[in-house]
Amino acid sequence: MQKKLVEFTNLLRKAGVRVSVAESLDAFSALDQMPLEDRELFKDALRTTMVKRGDEIETYDRLFDLFWSGFHDQLRQEMQQALGGMPEGFDLEQLMEQLRRMLENMDIDLGDLAKALLSMDANQLEKLIQQAGDEAEVQNIRNMLQIGFFSRRMTEQMDMEGAAGELRDLMERLREEGFDEERLRELGELLKAIQEAVRRAVRQYTERELDKQNHDYIERFRRESLLEKSFYNLTEEDLRKLREVVQRLAQKLKSVITMRRKRERRGKFDLKTTMRRNMAHGGIPFELVFKQRKKEKPKLVVLCDISSSVANVSRFFLQFIFSLQDCFTKVRSYVFVAELGEVTQLFRDHEIFDAIDLALDGGDVINPYTRSNFGMAFHTFWRDYLSAIDSRTTVVVIGDARNNYNDPRAWCLRDVHSKAKNVIWINPESPGAWGFGDSVMDKYLPYTDIAEECRNLKQLSRLVDRLIL
Amino acid sequence: MFESVEQVQKRLLDQNYIAGKKIATVVYLATKLNKPVLIEGPAGVGKTELAKVVAAAVGRPLIRLQCYEGLDESKALYEWEYSKQLLYTQMLRDRINDVIAGTKSMKEAAERIASQDDVFFSERFIVARPLLKAITSSEPICLLIDEVDKSDPEFEAFLLEVLSDYTVSVPEVGTIQAKHLPLVFLTSNDAREMTDALKRRCLHLHIDFPSTEEEVRILELKVPGIGERLVHDIVELVQRIRKLDLKKTPSISETLDWARALMVLNADELETELVNDTMNVILKHQGDIAKAQSELNALLQRKAAEKAAGTAQPAPAQPAAPAKKSVLH
Repeated sequence: MQKKLVEFTNLLRKAGVRVSVAESLDAFSALDQMPLEDRELFKDALRTTMVKRGDEIETYDRLFDLFWSGFHDQLRQEMQQALGGMPEGFDLEQLMEQLRRMLENMDIDLGDLAKALLSMDANQLEKLIQQAGDEAEVQNIRNMLQIGFFSRRMTEQMDMEGAAGELRDLMERLREEGFDEERLRELGELLKAIQEAVRRAVRQYTERELDKQNHDYIERFRRESLLEKSFYNLTEEDLRKLREVVQRLAQKLKSVITMRRKRERRGKFDLKTTMRRNMAHGGIPFELVFKQRKKEKPKLVVLCDISSSVANVSRFFLQFIFSLQDCFTKVRSYVFVAELGEVTQLFRDHEIFDAIDLALDGGDVINPYTRSNFGMAFHTFWRDYLSAIDSRTTVVVIGDARNNYNDPRAWCLRDVHSKAKNVIWINPESPGAWGFGDSVMDKYLPYTDIAEECRNLKQLSRLVDRLIL
Repeated sequence: MFESVEQVQKRLLDQNYIAGKKIATVVYLATKLNKPVLIEGPAGVGKTELAKVVAAAVGRPLIRLQCYEGLDESKALYEWEYSKQLLYTQMLRDRINDVIAGTKSMKEAAERIASQDDVFFSERFIVARPLLKAITSSEPICLLIDEVDKSDPEFEAFLLEVLSDYTVSVPEVGTIQAKHLPLVFLTSNDAREMTDALKRRCLHLHIDFPSTEEEVRILELKVPGIGERLVHDIVELVQRIRKLDLKKTPSISETLDWARALMVLNADELETELVNDTMNVILKHQGDIAKAQSELNALLQRKAAEKAAGTAQPAPAQPAAPAKKSVLH
């Protein structure tokens, strides 16, 4: 049992479920407290001690079924099938009874496997198959093509041929002893069917093992690649899946900020003020004063380019902004192509995907079907909204800075930069392309505190980690 | 406390709480292994309630710590009572003079005072907050740490000591060991992922929205006297609404509120007008209500069709069958 459980733990770990040593120890002690016969209880007990994330429960459920039951049932099913294949009028009990009587008087020594086959002992067979599986190191199986190889190795390990030989000899002896010819024929057929069943079971065992090893592999691969996938190539489907990841990211950002704020909130003991304040009490310090620093609420202003050159990317970033707005109270969001318009209210009023569709459509505030003009957008921002920026504001610009050879009007950004706490530029193009062609990134670069390439989720999450708002 | 999982279920049912096998197993294990339970799940599925009924079922008082952003150890664990300390210093001034009387140097005086300073840093001056109360309680208790996801990550870190060893360290006093091991429940709405360190120390329980049958049972248990038909109508509609993409999904407690409201209005089945008037009990956003409206209409229409079919049924069985079909389509 212990070995089984350790194996199962390893399997979980392999599938990406984090199980610590302490947790698997808990699982052991939990099982001590539980009646093991109840499968349901057993499953719940293991889950509550080892699997602690909501999104891992599904994986656990699948692996549990794969690991703890499947083969047991499959083997029995195969045996049933073997029996079912016997001709009409076959009476198993009668045959077994006669056989037993016969064998009692004979001095026959059979190997474990042959004995198990003869008595159709499913438990024993299961044990033997599992042993063979361990010895044949089936757990090393990696792909479909190896199924045949490992199955063969297992049957060799079990010595199926040897057992078959023993059984043939047995039949021969039975014939000599004058066992009923008809029964003997039946026995022969039965044994053949059972051997077939075991061979099939062995093959299934290997297949299951492959399933176990490969479980989640594909899914994990997809998730990983989703992280790596460039925003330019995201499909609608991907975007929906990203929603959750983005929300988590925004949440993380929030907890970083509250932590920082909290540290400031507590304040130090202020000796000077305390003494002064307590002069009235004859210097007895009744009232304590702590140095309170001003609470700093982060303010966020986000400018997002939604021109067609970055359409897909901005769809994603709008999702990010939407989540940001969910997390923070003071976020103002703007979209621009050439004109610039505020979409804060839009995001507040609509569901995420509607909001994004509306925003990409210009949100009734701008015309999205023009050629992007960063200079003009910045100028509009400078003219209309500069007053919204103070020393606590972080300005985030999202765009590729491809200005279609218009005037970049970098001085607008310079003014914004001088008023704001931080200017962060998130550019979906790699730094190598900045400043080439119609990119005016190099003009804006001096007026940003952080300018980062960000073309996939991984980079974005790294950026969030680094952001000091 | 409990002998078996079935007993947990039974005793919780006595407290008017329907616990599935999963929940009962975890509670049972928690009492056996002396481990805290981290309960996660959407809002309003009865996480806090579970802690309360378990406390009631085992007959222990419940100490509750409500977490919020900015909660720190001085609110959750203990706090030095500065003003009391200062007051004592002032009042004991004469005594202090006695203590330092006859000393020849500052150093000697300081040492004399130092030898007495544990008077001021003793349990006398500690204000116990819920966690310390739970640890030092003279009788066994249940501790509920509610909405732990609302607290800051650093608060979580110092919960670890309490949860794994049931001890609290006060630097000036030393480590305080629990007299009785408390039964600890933590609830989380998954607003943020708890750290692995915390999860490792807890048993994990995920409570989700109940299935239709479970919710029917809950309603029948919690709202005695409610008509069977109304229960089924309510549950069916609520379950459908939960499948929609809403800002706020109706919880069990809201279903209960709604059922009670409908009871008060003497309803015995759902009708469009009635539902429209009371919809705001289960849905709290205007947008959500609009979305649910179409679900509701579909349901009511289907019910009307069923009803029509139901009235058609008393007619002779054979010829009625095709007629019934045509009504349904």
